[in-house]
Order: sequence, then C-alpha cells, then structure tokens
Amino acid sequence: MPYAYTPKLIHIPPEKDVPFGMIVPAPEVSGEQPGMITGNWRQKRPVFDPMRCTQCRSCEMLCPDACISIDEKGIVDSDMKYCKGCGVCAFECREGAIVMVPELDFEDGVVRLETVF
Amino acid sequence: MQEPEILEINVWTRGVVMDKEGRDVTFALARAAQEEGKFVQAFDNYVDQPDRVNVPMRKYARISAVEIEDKYVYENHEPNIVVLVEESLLKGMNVLRGMRPGGTLIVNSHRPIADLVKFLPPHAPGTLRSFAVIHAERFARRVMADFLGAEGASVRGGLGRGIAGPIIGATARVGGFVSLDAVRKVVSDPAAAERGWESVQIRELGAATV
Repeated sequence: MPYAYTPKLIHIPPEKDVPFGMIVPAPEVSGEQPGMITGNWRQKRPVFDPMRCTQCRSCEMLCPDACISIDEKGIVDSDMKYCKGCGVCAFECREGAIVMVPELDFEDGVVRLETVF
Repeated sequence: MQEPEILEINVWTRGVVMDKEGRDVTFALARAAQEEGKFVQAFDNYVDQPDRVNVPMRKYARISAVEIEDKYVYENHEPNIVVLVEESLLKGMNVLRGMRPGGTLIVNSHRPIADLVKFLPPHAPGTLRSFAVIHAERFARRVMADFLGAEGASVRGGLGRGIAGPIIGATARVGGFVSLDAVRKVVSDPAAAERGWESVQIRELGAATV
C-alpha cells in the first residue's frame, strides 16, 4: 500500500502567528498587536519633559519597542500599551529630559491582562 | 477541580530580576509546612519559562494535610493565597483570576494599603477576605540577583535571602497555615522573616469563605 503523505498543520492563533525570526511590525506602523501587549512588564514608566528636549530623536531611534512617537509640535510621547519600561530612552537622553517614575504613581496606562503574555 | 484539602499559593514575580525571590517564597513556605508534617508540592510555572527580564511569572505551592493526588497538574487554577513580589503586578495582571471567595492577597510594596486598594481587580471586593502589604526592602539585608539558581545549579545565597525573607514571614502570618518557628528553621535569614511576620499590615475586605 503506497504511503500517502497528509500534512499535519499546527493551529496557531492569528494574533500569535509571526513570520520566521519573530519579526512583527511596530504598533506605530501596524496599529494594534493584540497578542503582544507588553505594557504590564513595566515597573517604571518614562516621563518626558518637553522643556528640556532638544529634538535629537535618540529615544525614538533607540526604543526597542518602537513605541516612542514625536508629533509635529515636537512633543515626545510613548505608547504605554507597549512600553516595557526598559529605560533605554532615559539612559540615552543626553539632556536628562526623560525620567523613570514608578508605575503605581499613575492611575491608568496599563492594560490589565487575564493571562500572561 | 481543586482537591478540597489543598491550600494553593500563587506567587507572581518578575522574570530574571526577581525570579529567585519568587521561587524562594514558594519553596520556603512548602518546606516549612513539611516540617510540620504536611504534604507539599512547590514548582515553577512551566509555560513562563524561559523567563525574560521583567516578565510576569508564576510560582506555585500546594500544602495539604492529606496526601496530594494531583501529581501532574502543573498550575494552581483556584488559588487561596496570592503573593506579589513586586507591586506593579497588581496593576497589569488579573492576579485574582480563579480565586474563590475568601482568598488572601499579599503585596510587597512601600505604599500604604489605602493607595493600593484602587489598583485591585474589579471583582476583588467580593473575592478577597484580607489584603496585606509588606515593605520587604525595608527589612531585607540586601536585595540580590543570583542567576545560578535559575538553571538548577546550587543557590549561593540560601533559601529566603534578600526580599524573600520578609515576604515569607508575612505570608505565613496572614495565611495562618504554618508557624513562625517552622519558617525560622527553613530560611537562611530568620531575623528578616520575623520582621516580616511582625510588620505586615492587614486590611480585612470581608468576603466570606464559601
């Protein structure tokens, strides 16, 4: 009896289906990444001081989550839904315009997840 | 379905940086209960490994007066006691998931209880019987990151060194399932555990045990 090959597919939920190398578009580019909300990894959040900012864009370039955006007025902001609180932006800011503040000093900004990411 | 005699303890911690502390809480409480003749299990969550920095992780302990029949269930689905080794986990996770009414929550935080109550999950008032806060950094001799224990190698600092010690003492008192003497025998820093036992702040939220 000839061997008939039937491919068996693994079911992966669409929000976790990532291409080879685990490269997914940044939430800034693609809008939502519902299966990859990492805001609750954050112990301290970056707070931006617009008076000290010199628009060097270091924080925007170096953010590993690509969640920092700069609007047309030059105001820097971070997407708190995806910011992991790694502190790279505060470390790299030459002007000291970014400080890391403990997360529980703020009322909002974290999506409460039911299960671990 | 939970076996009725089992006391389930869930510990939430942060990956890598507080991994050892979280594991020490479960292991020390289980070992202390074992000293008193209970049947125990303590283990990490399988799917949270390998951990990455700051990722929410779970550690489990089960304590029972009779022999535990579940050898292969590797999660506590209905915890009686939940311990948070780091305070901001309270905001980002539904840490009371699966808890039946009459449970206990213990948080390691420097904030007063009144500031933390607003961060509780929405169903907390009907679920929690008591809510406790311990400021472990205040009593810990030093906060340390020991990466040896993560891979099964020998742990250099011993069980319950660092911020785990006061948390173990606080959990033992609030949970009421193990005595301070048994905890003192197990942990490597008995003074810190004793300070945790004495200084934990407790607020009764009043959900009745079903």
